[in-house]
Amino acid sequence: MSDDLGQGWQRPDPRMLLVYPVKELGRFLPVVIGVLVAGTASGGPGTWLQLLGIGVPIALGVLRYLTTSYRIAQGRVELRRGLLNRHVLSTPLDRVRTVDVTAPPVHRLLGLTSVRIGTGTASSDEDDHLDLDGLPAERARRLRADLLTAGTDSEEQAATAVLDLDPAWVRYAPLTSSGLVLAAGVLGLTSQVVDSLGGLRVDARNLHDGAGAWSLWVAVPLGLLGLVVMVALLSIGGYVVTNWGFRLTHTGPGRGGAWQLRRGLLTTRETTIDDERLRGVVVGEPIGLRLAGAARASAIVTGLDRRESGSAVLVPPAPRAVVERVAGEVLRTAAPLTAPLTRHGPRARNRRFTRALGPALLIATAALVLTALADLPLWVPVLAAVGLPVAVLLAVDRAAALGHALVEDHFVVRSGSLVRRREALEVDAVIGWNLRATWFQRRADLTSLVATTAGGRQAVSALDVPEDAAVAVALAATPDLLAPFLAGPPD
Amino acid sequence: MTEQIQPRLREPSQRVSPRARLMWGLGAALEAGALLVVLVVVGPAGGWLPLPWWALVPVALGAVAYAVVVPQWRYRVHRWEVTGTAVYIQTGWWARERRIAPMSRIQTVEHAEGAIARLFGLATVTVTTASAAGALEIDGLERDRALALVDELTLMADSVPGDAT
Repeated sequence: MSDDLGQGWQRPDPRMLLVYPVKELGRFLPVVIGVLVAGTASGGPGTWLQLLGIGVPIALGVLRYLTTSYRIAQGRVELRRGLLNRHVLSTPLDRVRTVDVTAPPVHRLLGLTSVRIGTGTASSDEDDHLDLDGLPAERARRLRADLLTAGTDSEEQAATAVLDLDPAWVRYAPLTSSGLVLAAGVLGLTSQVVDSLGGLRVDARNLHDGAGAWSLWVAVPLGLLGLVVMVALLSIGGYVVTNWGFRLTHTGPGRGGAWQLRRGLLTTRETTIDDERLRGVVVGEPIGLRLAGAARASAIVTGLDRRESGSAVLVPPAPRAVVERVAGEVLRTAAPLTAPLTRHGPRARNRRFTRALGPALLIATAALVLTALADLPLWVPVLAAVGLPVAVLLAVDRAAALGHALVEDHFVVRSGSLVRRREALEVDAVIGWNLRATWFQRRADLTSLVATTAGGRQAVSALDVPEDAAVAVALAATPDLLAPFLAGPPD
Repeated sequence: MTEQIQPRLREPSQRVSPRARLMWGLGAALEAGALLVVLVVVGPAGGWLPLPWWALVPVALGAVAYAVVVPQWRYRVHRWEVTGTAVYIQTGWWARERRIAPMSRIQTVEHAEGAIARLFGLATVTVTTASAAGALEIDGLERDRALALVDELTLMADSVPGDAT
């Protein structure tokens, strides 16, 4: 396959001559603006400076184009770049684990893409990534197909669509916490910009008078409502920008094929995950989604760069039935996601209650004592007391979530309340077991059972499993591993 | 599950060096000592410590207990075992952690000697797997034994094919 791409080195597409200089101009933007301003102010020799200020970045961009080349030959992908510091990256084809095709807006206008060849490197240095920037979209697709089928003879195969985004699912966006994160980001940025522009001078007395005319009872709910609307709009915007055109397809035979994932409104992103690298599924139900009967799912993929774990999303927030169908198809069996779980019993339940109620009680007591001693306003202990029923609800819900099972060669675990998760990990992908028990847990004969793995969050943990059950499930999953370390029957 | 007796994990067979108690004790004593120095000397001198003098007594008692009791406790818990197919360790004191990793999934074997450990001729052997959550660390081994263990583990891990993910 690699032979028909030729032995020689290839340049990126000539259209990149338009992209590189723009990029360089962007990188030098502060300098360019400075030079332009200085030039206009001084006049005379400034014109030369101005020309230099624009010419140097453009020249650098052209040089970048001329010094970048790649080739696929003799079973390796090689990338050369750099003018002064020559940089050659090279990787064997059979080490290629993922091929991501992204197209930022400028690339898209020109019909170009950027191909990142992932080898599961732990390096976070941007220079150590094999990025083939500036391939025409068609060639990028062909290259991806070539790279990922290296070693096998599979021809062009029809892709079967597993999931297409339904725009109506946008309604679930405000129920996740992503809107809050975005809002915090926007607020932070705004305050920084305002600060750097000399700060917003708010006349406190003025504000107070204004609020006084409105009365606190109107102003506070109105402010909260505004905040809620803003967060909802932001999360909807975020959902649309990242997930627009979301499409999950599978190519190739049942096993040994690959999953392809495409999404993005402005920057389109296409990720490909080999079947053999996809080792499990996580179905997440943040409380908002759970109450609305929705969920989302992501894949546990080994060999994905840790920084890119976000690209393993399988289903954006969507109705639960859809999530279960897709996750079931990805796992090739729906059983791990629907089968009943082994519950962790009353002792685990008690621990959830002590863990939730303990801090709440402590805070309530402290608030009471402090109010009596230091006469705090009365709403402090009232607010602290509200924490108690909330803690009870949380404990009930958390206890109800706990469960684990071994279903069709998958280690399945469920836990959490505010962010409930059901994780299903292939037994073959379990690297080792950690059993952790604090003194309190040992007294209750409980332990936390953690299956470590090379993908996703690196571990799948079952909280507060009765010791017997923990050993039993680990033994059933990996009998050869645990058998030598079992104690004889107690006398 | 039926009513039969469930199997349980036993402890790993090997203990760490008895000198590890002294090493952990010295480390804990240095930590506790630093805390006490801050509380007794620097605090009053700087004038920012609002504690009455008698509040220092339980703090000092706690620090001494930490330096004396915890290393003993740790020594009772810390154990390890290497078989032809797996590495099994037990660490911790308040929270006890048991970790099992198969030989076929070992990626690196590391030998380290901290400053305090060198005083006692001890070393730490760390075994990592492809999972960030799965490193196995054996603290407080005699240096010679640690070096032999590293050689043994490296040989055994090398003889198993696969990329350990």
